[in-house]
Amino acid sequence: MTKYVLEFEDVWKTYSMGDAEVNALAGLNLVLKEGSFTAVMGPSGSGKSTFLHVSGILDTPTRGLFRINGRQTSELSLKEQALLRRNEIGFVFQRFNLLSQLSALENVMLPMINKDSEKAMGVLDKMGLEDKYHKRPTQLSGGEQQRVAISRALINDPSLILADEPTGELDTENAQSIMQILQDLNRKAEVSIVVVTHNPASASFADRIINMRDGKILQ
Amino acid sequence: MSFLKLMVKNPFRNKARLALAVIGIAIGIATIVALGMVTDGLKVSIEEQLKTGGADFVVMKNTTSDSSTGSYSIKNSRVDEISKIDGVKQAAGVYTSSRMVEGNQLGLAGIYQKDLNMLGVKMIQGNPFSDNKNEVILGKLAAEKMNKKVGDTINLNNVKYTITGIYETGNKELDSIGGLSLSKLQSLGEDEGKVDMIYVKINNNADLKTVTQRVEKTYPGELTTISSLEDFQRADDSLQMVETASMAISLLAIVIGGIGIINTMIMSVFERTREIGVLKAVGWKSKRILSMILGESVVLTLLAGLVGIILGFIGIEAIIIFSDTPLQLIFTPALALRALGIAIFVGVIGGLYPAIRASRLPPTEALRYE
Repeated sequence: MTKYVLEFEDVWKTYSMGDAEVNALAGLNLVLKEGSFTAVMGPSGSGKSTFLHVSGILDTPTRGLFRINGRQTSELSLKEQALLRRNEIGFVFQRFNLLSQLSALENVMLPMINKDSEKAMGVLDKMGLEDKYHKRPTQLSGGEQQRVAISRALINDPSLILADEPTGELDTENAQSIMQILQDLNRKAEVSIVVVTHNPASASFADRIINMRDGKILQ
Repeated sequence: MSFLKLMVKNPFRNKARLALAVIGIAIGIATIVALGMVTDGLKVSIEEQLKTGGADFVVMKNTTSDSSTGSYSIKNSRVDEISKIDGVKQAAGVYTSSRMVEGNQLGLAGIYQKDLNMLGVKMIQGNPFSDNKNEVILGKLAAEKMNKKVGDTINLNNVKYTITGIYETGNKELDSIGGLSLSKLQSLGEDEGKVDMIYVKINNNADLKTVTQRVEKTYPGELTTISSLEDFQRADDSLQMVETASMAISLLAIVIGGIGIINTMIMSVFERTREIGVLKAVGWKSKRILSMILGESVVLTLLAGLVGIILGFIGIEAIIIFSDTPLQLIFTPALALRALGIAIFVGVIGGLYPAIRASRLPPTEALRYE
């Protein structure tokens, strides 16, 4: 039986902007298989970020049914949602979003705070950052910072990684390298990956490309 | 990395803001410590004065009764009358005043020479004064301050008084004044026939409580007896006033410090909106974010508490030294703990609102924050 990491059934997300209502997601229907690598493309305002936020339980649909790994998120308490984010989802952001006062190692340990640092070192080693444990984000290049961010996303062995424009701040070489890391994670560790991107070169690493417009999937 | 380490580290990110917030709260804590040292010192000094002398209790004018005239003076004749009350071994009238002597304000106690034992006076140089001569004795600290020795003279109301001896009691306040004949000081103060207090020593076999009750029953509403700090506080509301003022200033410090910490922590949360969004995205529960901000607030006020304790201690010691005030200061661990307790309280109260605000930030809005 096919297992789905994400399931959207007629999902709407409506924002109020003054008197007007804007549908960031307008009856979205989509299923993503476990172990899939999906790129989501589309112009600004097409609903890509909202799709990613709902996928990561950072936002809740206005209506419709959304499941992650078979669990309906509307039935989860805020605490359960936080636990699900911590244990099953890894986030990678365009601007890395590392805490500037913490070292690379400490940033990686944030989701698993109070635990042993050995695992975090192991993940950084796999990213080729074995000599950067104690460097602050400002002491790292953009590519290195994004690799620290990916390490942070991987620290709790998630089944799903959600990446929002992960190569948006990087040069071509570093962008290729980051996408390669994500592809390797998908192929070797069978981690499901969803990448939101404007960049066709980055999207080409995915097995499936979805185009969004006006909160819907273009067929 | 531990959660605690993160909480301790975070307030140090913006050092200028940290310094300003710490100084703001530390000034309040320093005031609390300084006033605490003064009131504790006053209490200890009063207790010492009650215990170090040979007297078992002190008789003072009852200024709280309805029949009180508001005057603190007692008629001279009461001294003799009290000495005849059953159980009383010795009663000594004491009149106090102060005079400017060579640029120094010198406190003076008038007491008959035979009664000096009641003040716990021990002559360390020379001899006591004679009651009928213009003679004076100085406490050790007063003599040091005025650079006087036995045989020197001082002018009191343009009359020369010879210093016949230097004494020590072990009490800072008593050692910072001088003593002379009761009748001489009364005439200097143009207050003849009046004393401020009567020191009373009881017979060995007499019961202190019974004797004090006899004195109070003999002069109902007129005189009161003091044999403990509690009695003193009941009879004299000056210590109570200092304590009330201290509490009012403490409260003010808490309110001002609390507002300061709310402002600091709101600014901190505001600047770190995106960071809070990231923490939520990586799975931090709202409760943990609330604890972190609250913890940071407490770390900040604890630091301010420590700085305030040091500032208060050094500040009040410096004021006392430079102003030459013979005030005893007492610093106790209890006072330090009280100051730290207030600091923690301010941290929790001041940090609560910003912490709740941070914990309730919607993650998507926080992540969009530029």
